[in-house]
Amino acid sequence: MPIECLVLGAGQEVGKSCVVVSINGKRIMFDCGMHMGYADSNRYPDFSRISDAGDFNSALSCVIITHFHLDHIGALPYFTQVLGYKGPVYMTYPTKALAPIMLEDYRKNMDRRGEEEQFTSQHIEECMKRVIAVDLKQTVQVDKDLQIRAYYAGHVLGAAMFYAKVGDAAIVYTGDYNTIADRHLGAAQIERLQLDLLITESTYANSVRDSKYNREGEFLKAVHKCVAAGGKVLIPTFALGRAQEICLLLEDYWERMNLKVPIYFSAGLTIQANMYYKMLVNWTSQKVKETYVTHNAFDFKHVQTFDRSLINAPGPCVLFATPGMLSGGYSLEVFMQWAPCEGNLVTLPGYCVVGTIGYKLMSGKPTRINLDKDTQIDVRCQVHQLSFSAHTDAKGIMDLVKFLSPKNAILVHGEKPKMAILKERIESELGIPCFYPANNETVSISSTGHVKAHASDTFIQRCLSPNFKFLKCGVPDKSASGSKCTEGISRLQVVDERVADSILVEQKCKKAKVIHQDELLLMLGEKEHEVKFAYCCPIRIEKSVQTGSKDLSSTDNQHLGLDKRSLLELLSVKLSNKLSEGNIQDFGEHLQIESFHVSVCLKDKCSHRTSNSIENQSELVFFCCNWSVADEKLAWNIISIMECCTLNTT
Amino acid sequence: MPSSRAPVILPFQIHSRRCRAKLDSSVLSPMEQRLKDSIGIEQFLQDNKPLSPQAMASIRSLIVNPHTSDPMLSSVLETLTRSLQIGGDSLYLHHTLKLLTDLASHHPNLSAPILDLLRSNSLLSSESPGLATEFVSAMASISSSVIEVEEASFVSLCFGPSVSARMWLLRNAEMFGVRRSVLLAVLLGFTRDPYPYVRKAALDGLVNLCENGDFEDRDVVEGCCCCAVELLQDTEDCVRSAAVRAVRVWGKMLVAYIEESNKIDCSDAIFIQICSMVRDMNVEVRLQAFDALGKIGPVSEDILLQTLSKKVLGITKEKKSSRYCPMEWLEIPASNAAGIIVHGLEDEFYEVRMSACYSLRTLTVFSAKFAGEALNLLMDMLNDDSRSVRLQALETMHQMATCDHLKMEETHMHTFVGTLFDNNAFIRSAARKILKIVKLRKLKLFKQCIDSLLANLETYPQDEVDIFSVLFYTGRNHGNFTVHIIMEVSKEIEPVFRGKLSLDSPRVAAFLVLAISAPLSQEKMANRIPPSIFSYAATLLGRISHALSDVMSKDTLLVYLSKCSQSSDFSLTDFEREGLSLPALGSDAPPRTCLETSSSVKMPLLDIGNKASEVLSQKLPALREWSTSHVVCQQRELDELRKFVNIIFGKVNDLWLLVQSGFTTEALKTLRTCREEVGTFPKESPGSAGMLAFTEQYIRVVKLLTEVWQHLVPTRKIRSYGMGNLEIILEKLDRRLRDMRSRFIGLSIEEELQILDLTVVACLLRFSKVEFCCYHNTLKRLSSTISRVEFLYKKGSLDPSNFLTEVKKSLHEIGTYIGGGPCKSFVIRRLLNSFSLKQFSLCGSPRYANAELEVPGNDSENPLPFVSGLPACIPLEITFHNILNENRLWLRITLSEESTQFVFLDLNLTGGGNDVRKFTFMASCYLTPNVASFTLRVCIGMECLFEDIHLAKGSRGPKRELTYISPEKEIYLSMRLKTE
Repeated sequence: MPIECLVLGAGQEVGKSCVVVSINGKRIMFDCGMHMGYADSNRYPDFSRISDAGDFNSALSCVIITHFHLDHIGALPYFTQVLGYKGPVYMTYPTKALAPIMLEDYRKNMDRRGEEEQFTSQHIEECMKRVIAVDLKQTVQVDKDLQIRAYYAGHVLGAAMFYAKVGDAAIVYTGDYNTIADRHLGAAQIERLQLDLLITESTYANSVRDSKYNREGEFLKAVHKCVAAGGKVLIPTFALGRAQEICLLLEDYWERMNLKVPIYFSAGLTIQANMYYKMLVNWTSQKVKETYVTHNAFDFKHVQTFDRSLINAPGPCVLFATPGMLSGGYSLEVFMQWAPCEGNLVTLPGYCVVGTIGYKLMSGKPTRINLDKDTQIDVRCQVHQLSFSAHTDAKGIMDLVKFLSPKNAILVHGEKPKMAILKERIESELGIPCFYPANNETVSISSTGHVKAHASDTFIQRCLSPNFKFLKCGVPDKSASGSKCTEGISRLQVVDERVADSILVEQKCKKAKVIHQDELLLMLGEKEHEVKFAYCCPIRIEKSVQTGSKDLSSTDNQHLGLDKRSLLELLSVKLSNKLSEGNIQDFGEHLQIESFHVSVCLKDKCSHRTSNSIENQSELVFFCCNWSVADEKLAWNIISIMECCTLNTT
Repeated sequence: MPSSRAPVILPFQIHSRRCRAKLDSSVLSPMEQRLKDSIGIEQFLQDNKPLSPQAMASIRSLIVNPHTSDPMLSSVLETLTRSLQIGGDSLYLHHTLKLLTDLASHHPNLSAPILDLLRSNSLLSSESPGLATEFVSAMASISSSVIEVEEASFVSLCFGPSVSARMWLLRNAEMFGVRRSVLLAVLLGFTRDPYPYVRKAALDGLVNLCENGDFEDRDVVEGCCCCAVELLQDTEDCVRSAAVRAVRVWGKMLVAYIEESNKIDCSDAIFIQICSMVRDMNVEVRLQAFDALGKIGPVSEDILLQTLSKKVLGITKEKKSSRYCPMEWLEIPASNAAGIIVHGLEDEFYEVRMSACYSLRTLTVFSAKFAGEALNLLMDMLNDDSRSVRLQALETMHQMATCDHLKMEETHMHTFVGTLFDNNAFIRSAARKILKIVKLRKLKLFKQCIDSLLANLETYPQDEVDIFSVLFYTGRNHGNFTVHIIMEVSKEIEPVFRGKLSLDSPRVAAFLVLAISAPLSQEKMANRIPPSIFSYAATLLGRISHALSDVMSKDTLLVYLSKCSQSSDFSLTDFEREGLSLPALGSDAPPRTCLETSSSVKMPLLDIGNKASEVLSQKLPALREWSTSHVVCQQRELDELRKFVNIIFGKVNDLWLLVQSGFTTEALKTLRTCREEVGTFPKESPGSAGMLAFTEQYIRVVKLLTEVWQHLVPTRKIRSYGMGNLEIILEKLDRRLRDMRSRFIGLSIEEELQILDLTVVACLLRFSKVEFCCYHNTLKRLSSTISRVEFLYKKGSLDPSNFLTEVKKSLHEIGTYIGGGPCKSFVIRRLLNSFSLKQFSLCGSPRYANAELEVPGNDSENPLPFVSGLPACIPLEITFHNILNENRLWLRITLSEESTQFVFLDLNLTGGGNDVRKFTFMASCYLTPNVASFTLRVCIGMECLFEDIHLAKGSRGPKRELTYISPEKEIYLSMRLKTE
């Protein structure tokens, strides 16, 4: 049964992540995001493609949300409350805690802008009620056949990659992830799994990021220089993530350098967010987790709450204020006050939306900014840019794909041309088929079939006991100077293929069974077939005593019987003189050397006789030989001896 | 009712047992008799029925109870023996076995009979390999020596269906004395086992096998290496991490077998294989990978450069498979190495980051260009949030500086200087250590450094000593720059700058220290420092000399300052002509913080003038406290020192890799640094003196070994010594080793064994190089050393190291090829190759035998009187430290090269304890020449008791080789008396 992957959002674009995957009859929706760039119906994924009738409850087994960013969760209240999906929704604990804050913030902003309200506070609340929270590496049995499990993804607090398995078909949907740890979050972590499909984000499909340490160092240098000269530093940030990251960085630096300059947090969202971070230490970086016992890293020692009266207080300070792009609010207010002074510093994030003050500051170095008709700001302060990206880079994606080695890969959440390049790399370097469907396209891949089979006792026994062999592979060394030609050297290899010695038997009306190869004949009631070679070999006879009968074939049976025996004895002596290998056994009627079997042939016309040996039949005795394939070399060796020798009968 | 709990021990029971022990030991106390009955032991012995679980529990409590009497125990043993013989299901036997091992471990006197019992019974259960393994493991836990198990039965046990038994056997395979070839086959086979832990155990076993010796067959080595490489892709974390280790050791072995032209390609290929594991999701695997990267050995520069860039460099792209694979199974694109160091340095786990920094230590030695680029990354590590990582980064930089691969740029300065202000003392001192030896190329950088050191002095006045020392060293390293700076600030140094006396301000003192260092550099402008500055510096003599205690003594400093203040063109050569000596450039002091206790005592003596008393009174309580806790302190100090010394040993050990790969110059440089580091410690207390002397001696030995070694290994920069020179080095090496063996008392067996190892190596080196002379003696020494080693192994019941076993095996071979020849040198070469320096670790504090000689009042001005032709009497004041009574001591009196006289010192006449004895000895010198005055050189030698080689010289004199335990003392004699 193929796995079908319908991309509803974030196909060849960044925004409104939403992928519906059907595996072995189960349908899972990964992420339910909204696009921030649209205000029309394009804002949401086209849910009608899941079910024409709008019966989402029967069409979907569950919805899984990877993290709390709006492009991954924004459409969820709409989907559950407005469109009426009633099935289970899974997300991690921190996502469940932080998502309502994000959604509420978005709703308010929409409200403020006077846009049509898509969902209400009530909706958010109701929606969150139906969410089932999961923990990392906790296997959740959604229903009888469907298992899901969350793995740490870095990116933001509570972000997770999800593994889903139905029967033997398994996939991983990564959501957004970061393979490199920063100060407050760890690196994505997953086990080596057997996967049919990996759906990965590809935001930085074609760029490789250098070490962030350098940027951090520059930032610290700028801040230190500014406060050492008595300046004030304004750090406009968004409340979640970036603020904590920078603050941890500064705290550590303050501690090391014994700096006493106060760091302020403007009240509001940041304080509340800090509280969440303090509670969810388990989801943070290794360092924070390790020190947590003695000191919660988010209990910032040097941080104090800010008071409006402090804006113009003398002396250096560092202030974190929202929002991040100086688009209004507290950060803008402070910026207006501090910008005119040369000694001050404002640090901006790497990305600002067009039209915001942050954007203006970043593009060129303006000396004057017009806020509106009446207000102008003289900008004399220094501007520093510090970008942290919480997405993995191309190398990270490649490393993850290589580590997981899925059978297929699908790229989402990226720009089309770059995805094309990455697809090429994955296919050429790793040999994994890769797709990057556009929105509303479906990719269908075959999945691993699986058969339930009984195992026979012998098979189990054999599996338990070791069965390794040493093989010499490669061409054996021919020349004495073999050490020079490297490909000529043979190599020792070890194999232990206990399962390969077994056979899967599927019979009509019976359950499939795995048996050991030795049992097969027994089970089928068949005899073993063996390929044997035969040859009737003439040997010249010299009679030293003339009393013997002239014609061997006409003498009576008894005489012949004796003769047969003595002939074999003679042959045995001859062979044992000339044959270096093998152990000759005399069974009276025949001789045996390994599987080589020889006896006197009395037939007139033996089918194994070659025609050219007819002449002078009277002096010839025929010996019928047969042997199995394994001893072919030995056999021809013996025959060549036999053909050359003469038997002296007395 | 049979009780399953431990019997309650009552006081009377203990009492009665004691009394009974005197009377009759075979009688049970009534209490125990009752207990025995209640367990039903008698019944059991008669019925031949298995013991009940309750009975077993009671027996167990009897075993555990320390007060159980001996007769009771022997009846318990009897019961268990019977129980074992009766047999039963495997669970029952398991419990019985458990009881027997418990019995043996609680009552060691019973372990011998139990071992015999198990040995005789182990065949009974051969039908169940699980149980058989249990027997073996029980035997292993009881016995401390190698368990003799037949190879066939070992292998068949391994092949049994019980997985846990198989795992146990593989893990403990070394215990059974199975032949290496058999073990190799078994282990190699089980690397393909379906059970991950079996695979891991097999890989670990292979690693051990490889580390303990080498293999003749290249195919086998290749097979093992290939097998390990394949397992790098295993699904289980533990297997992958074991595989990384295996690839490292077997890869290294493989490289050794490959012909010279392909060596570097092969080691590159192995390097890249391990690089591919650096991005593993498992921390343990990553750690192992970085650990391995630092230990692989020389790697091509382009590969190294690729590890610093996540982008695949052009060079690497092209050289995909053609060059990097001597073997097709090692084929792996070089792009796997892309950016792995970057990844390691930004890893989430500080252990991995540290390990990455550490591996850079060795990798930066290989290429200056790589070191330059890696420095950019390392500098960023100084902002890491983990202190250990920052410290390791600084350590790595220090290592780079000793190899002269540290090129500081302006962009680095802010971050680097920042570490000087770190609130952690270790970080600060590590950063200063680098400044001491780094060579700055621009005046601007130098100025920046000096400025920050000055600012550092303001922020951390407690670091003054260290900062002054750094200033002095950097000044010496950068003479011209120093003069530049001093010229600029000379006004500030003037005593009446801005109308106030400012000489005692730390800033001015710092400038003075900087200034006085300049003449010691060999640069051109170095003598332009105005002489007056030296006289200013003289006023701060105490303070400066304290900081420079590792460079020169107070007296030397005073002489130096006064000479410099008299003439402006005093230079280093003049300084040396004055008979003063300086340690070589590039040395550094140990972190002062280690020995805060001792420096806090010295501190008050620093300040001169009226401040002194004030400071003293402040420090007095501290002093008193110090004296009371003196003993404790001393112990702690010793421990601290031992820790430090062991770190040094570790460093030396790390160096061996360099030596083996031919980086002799770098290794020698670092060794020198190590020695100087050791040299800077005060040697006051008896414990520390011995320890430090030992360490110094050890480093010297390794240095000599290194020097000889470069004749064996093709070095990068061949610096050839003549054969004669080599002999001198070998001679020195022998002497040092002899010193180590005879002069240090209280070495543990392990320690002595390691010295003996080195002695064996020295002998082998002699064989390999100095062909004809003293062949016989060397052979004799070698065999006597080896027999001593064997004796020690037996005594300490240790397993002989592989190297020694090999040497022992070949001893006969060496003996037969007298006179040398290709065959012999091959054997020797093979033996030497199998040698690797083991990490030395000092666990005790060895005492150091030494002696002092003094002739009171004798110098060239006041000679002793003598009459030509008559014996002269020399009154010697001798102090012995740590000389044992069995030592045979000789006084050597030398007049010239030809005439040497030995006088035996009878220790029985001296009296006093072993530690220190002081006495006056009247030595008579019979060799007075017919001159007006002459000098004698006298020193004390000790016979090396272990040396069998008897000196064939005349009957009067030492029988064995001497090791000299005192410095040579010159004694002046004159016919003319001073009073005349």
